Amino acid sequence: MIKKLAKALNPAIWVFHVNTGSCNGCDIEIIAALTPRYDVERFGIRLVGTPRHADVLLVTGPVTKQMEPKLKRIYAQTPDPKVVLVIGNCGATGGVFYESYNLVGPVDQIVPVDVYVPGCPPRPEAIIDGVVKAWLKLEKLSEESEKK
Amino acid sequence: MIGHIETGVGFWNAIVWCVSFIVVALAVYAIRALGRTHYRKGTEQVKPYLSGTTEYDRVRVPGENVYWGFAQALKNYYNKITPVHAGRLNDYITWLVLMLAVFLVIITLLSGGLG
Repeated sequence: MIKKLAKALNPAIWVFHVNTGSCNGCDIEIIAALTPRYDVERFGIRLVGTPRHADVLLVTGPVTKQMEPKLKRIYAQTPDPKVVLVIGNCGATGGVFYESYNLVGPVDQIVPVDVYVPGCPPRPEAIIDGVVKAWLKLEKLSEESEKK
Repeated sequence: MIGHIETGVGFWNAIVWCVSFIVVALAVYAIRALGRTHYRKGTEQVKPYLSGTTEYDRVRVPGENVYWGFAQALKNYYNKITPVHAGRLNDYITWLVLMLAVFLVIITLLSGGLG
């Protein structure tokens, strides 16, 4: 009963942000989503400081050679069920850095991606929409893991 | 009443204590149940988060780098003084006794103790 009660109190989604070589444009828009104008924390969406607490990995930027093992490790450190959300064109396709000599990305070549939010940079509304889509997927994954 | 003690500034009651303990234990259990359970033991998921790096690739900048120029300017002094700091207690006690003896002689001479 206590576990059910705890589950009822657990509607928040915790997000961890990874920059894998972004120009910081997308990162600024993520911060904008947290500012009072959009204030995603009122929906229970909050940034956390470690992937071990996270439900969603928010990845910005194409993946540089140096960031590849770090991204893999951060993905491995995120507990299941987890969802990867790519913010911006660079993470989705390489963007303006496409075919650069020091890239190994885009992100989906390194870790599996669930939701893409295109844009250079995407507006905070688009980021929030992406997080909501990730949330829906996460709920499905949670139900599946509970059935197992 | 069994297990009831008046202390003069309040009371201690065994039943109240037990009930309080159970309430707090249930609260602790509820908070613990909020924790993540779907993690894989024995994998990266139980290791500390070090910005995606392993413990081995941490870049270490010791505090002594801050006063590198100072140490470089007084290199000769440091070269002589560093071996003296050997960490052996016997050496330190010897230094203490020697210096005490020297200061005792100086103080005695200055105060005219030998005169």
